[in-house]
Amino acid sequence: MSFASDTYYMFLRWMKKLVRNPILLFFSLFQPIIFLVLFTQLFSSFGLLLGGNYTLFATAGIVLQNAFSSAFQSGTAIVDDIKSGFLTKILATPASRSSILLGRLLSDAFRVFAQSLIILLLAYGLGVFPATGIFGYILILITVAFFGLAWSGISLALGLRTKSAETVFGIAGTLTFPLLFMSSALMKPDLMPKWMQTVSSYNPISFAVNAIRDLIMTGYVWSSFSQAYGVISLISVITLGATLYEFKKVVS
Amino acid sequence: MPAVQVENLVKTYGDGTQAVKGISFKVDDGEFFGFLGPNGAGKSTTIKILTTLLRKTSGSADVAGHDIEHDAQIVRKLIGVQMQDTVIDEDLTGRENLMLQGHLQQMHGEELKERVNELLKIVDLGDAADKRSAYYSGGMKKRLDLASTLVHRPKILFLDEPTTGLDPQSRAQVWSYLKGLNQEGITIFITTQYLEEVDRLCRRLAILDHGEIVAQGTPSELKSEIGADRITLGFENGNRGDGTLKDKAKQVLSSLGGITEIVDSDEGIVIYAKNGGFLVPDIVRAFDTAGIKLASIGVSSPTLDDVFLKHTGRRIRPEEIDKSRASGMFGRRRR
Ligand SMILES: Nc1ncnc2c1ncn2[C@@H]1O[C@H](COP(=O)(O)OP(=O)(O)OP(=O)(O)O)[C@@H](O)[C@H]1O
Ligand SMILES: [Mg+2]
Repeated sequence: MSFASDTYYMFLRWMKKLVRNPILLFFSLFQPIIFLVLFTQLFSSFGLLLGGNYTLFATAGIVLQNAFSSAFQSGTAIVDDIKSGFLTKILATPASRSSILLGRLLSDAFRVFAQSLIILLLAYGLGVFPATGIFGYILILITVAFFGLAWSGISLALGLRTKSAETVFGIAGTLTFPLLFMSSALMKPDLMPKWMQTVSSYNPISFAVNAIRDLIMTGYVWSSFSQAYGVISLISVITLGATLYEFKKVVS
Repeated sequence: MPAVQVENLVKTYGDGTQAVKGISFKVDDGEFFGFLGPNGAGKSTTIKILTTLLRKTSGSADVAGHDIEHDAQIVRKLIGVQMQDTVIDEDLTGRENLMLQGHLQQMHGEELKERVNELLKIVDLGDAADKRSAYYSGGMKKRLDLASTLVHRPKILFLDEPTTGLDPQSRAQVWSYLKGLNQEGITIFITTQYLEEVDRLCRRLAILDHGEIVAQGTPSELKSEIGADRITLGFENGNRGDGTLKDKAKQVLSSLGGITEIVDSDEGIVIYAKNGGFLVPDIVRAFDTAGIKLASIGVSSPTLDDVFLKHTGRRIRPEEIDKSRASGMFGRRRR
């Protein structure tokens, strides 16, 4: 079927582009490593407050933080394709329109999957092993990839709308830290000021973090798991819907 | 069945710019068709519409016998498009660029591999095929771009200034590929600034100005329409002559008989006259009497340059056009 093959070749193109840009590749891996090593060292004494090992606690947060910032690169990639005219060139072929988006999204998901695996392996080196074992690893990676897709949607929609990489970067940069710190990613909400606790409890990152943290520290907790999937699905519908809407405007 | 049939095509952009104002023309199957016009005339806009990349405002257009809107998918399989700005994926090798293009045209396996090899040879990229295209020279990139429009053996090729920015040698090479393709039966629809090549290769051409077709026909028809020789008059101070001097000169000229047309040009004044050679002494005498100093005077038989000048009041200057390039279709929209 042409839709499947078009999607595959678009996906393949993005993978090649990623692998051939060592700097991009380096930085997309560098950041999570920095986070894992520096954050867990810097905040290691939190472990006492939290009543346990901080690295064990923070791994879930770092995996998701990485997914979050990685997803934001998607929008700048589509801006490049618009600016260079490559998108136009693809549109001049009979290639399925939706395969153009899907190919990109799949490559995003794959990248986040690989990055998260690296973080988990490093964390393993630091003594973190999920309570749910090997199957837990798989579940974590799938959840993170799904989470990444939901955020890729925002970045793609922004890129398609503004056609400016600077804008996408600017918005991403501004959002990242407040969203990260006002979530349960790096800190137990009980230890936050009251207002931040409130923000954190509505912060979508918290939902995903809690699900993954449970998989790592506790075991299968279906309530956190189903909540996370509910929230991620909701966000996906909104952000990917916006992407589709903006994409249609660009290609028509 | 004509390769391209356009009736009353209109394009008004969102910001109100009327880029194409109701043009009609036809390109026959197998023709080498030149689509000329000064900057901003609406050439690229027309090409984008015909290649299904931009929606028309009104009118109708058939490409390869299919309506461009209703049968857009069919049209996309039958045409190849080279945009004004060179577009290749510089992270991919030359071969990978062509393979991707083929895959998206539903070509696969050995057939595609062979076709890509063949094309790489045709555009002389055989040796560089597996090198990252980022490292290609400008001419190589342009040739790769051209090859990528040919992978699926299109019946009609739309080329928006395929040789602009190339050195004379690469330019000649591209024109000779195009000639070969046309001889194989591919219809070529081309916009370009190079009128000599148009004169040699295009069977027919249309001139677009401010969104309207101001002339169309074969090169020899259009040249003979001028029906006169060209006399170029240059004035002192850098050949141009200031406005008042030119006005005075035009007054003097209009009192002379035998002149069919007087046109302002960057070089001074161009006039068209039957048997122009005989008029030279009269002109010199008249200017002498009026006290206007002539710096130069030249007589030649008409070229497409003259056709272009006559219909648009402008001359094509490829070198300057290269510099004033705006970016691609989406880049321009928001500015
Ligand atoms: N996306 C757009 N939105 C608004 N106006 C546009 C857009 N694209 C082109 N135009 C305008 O439409 C007119 C025709 O532009 P077009 O690019 O078709 O000209 P052209 O003949 O290809 O010129 P050139 O020789 O410079 O390539 C110009 O006035 C241009 O500014
Ligand atoms: Mg143009």
